[in-house]
Amino acid sequence: MENDQLIENFFSDMKKQDQNIRIPEFPETKVRSFNWWIPSGIAATLLLGGFLLTQQEPVAEAPSEVIIISLQENENNEQEFTIEEKAYIDVWESSTSSLLTEF
Amino acid sequence: MKMNHSELENILKNHHREAYLWARQCCGFEDELAKDVLQICYLKILEGKARLQQVEKVKPWLFSVIRFTAIDELRKKGNWVALQENYDLEDEPTENEEELDYQKLLMQLSPMQREVMLMVFYHQLTIAESAEVLQVSLGSARTHYDRGKKRLKELIVKSQNLEYDGK
Repeated sequence: MENDQLIENFFSDMKKQDQNIRIPEFPETKVRSFNWWIPSGIAATLLLGGFLLTQQEPVAEAPSEVIIISLQENENNEQEFTIEEKAYIDVWESSTSSLLTEF
Repeated sequence: MKMNHSELENILKNHHREAYLWARQCCGFEDELAKDVLQICYLKILEGKARLQQVEKVKPWLFSVIRFTAIDELRKKGNWVALQENYDLEDEPTENEEELDYQKLLMQLSPMQREVMLMVFYHQLTIAESAEVLQVSLGSARTHYDRGKKRLKELIVKSQNLEYDGK
């Protein structure tokens, strides 16, 4: 116990002396907050890029209607153009078939 | 238990004086280094890199964070020397001064002995809490405590004798 008293006195005196030590102010601690804008921006760019790359070019579809322009003789033996719109060609006539029939 | 930023800051403010004195003691009584160490510790704690698990053990936890940060900083500066458990520093002749040089006497103990002595007698931690701070077993902390006491007593007596002889 005597030993402890000697040591306790030593530390008690040391504490008294340490009262003169200037304690610095509590430091201003600015926590470095994580900036979510950067990864969000990267993610958005990747998403947009992926979306644009995977989007296929639209295949040109055949027109739903076919316009048939034909030259026909009317009852007055006059030739006239008739224009028809059809979903499909039900009658197809070769453009050179007249050569077979008329000559 | 998760604490918010202001709760942690309040705990740190309440322990600031003791934390600074402990940081200073861990840094070989270097004031500037102690300030840097404390700043790093506070950032570690407020950024969640060092987490308090039990509020009732705040002091040993804070002391532990400070101690390990100080060791890291001393290593960076090349001032840290890992010592064996039973290592005792060579006696340095103490100057004949009017006032006992506490720091010089303490620096003659091994780091572990010095830290246990300071934690128990200066900061009023128990030996078990000191063991937690040092991350050693209770038995090992007790050994450092007993050896530290014995060695410090010799140094104090020697220093007092020199003082009387000088008068």
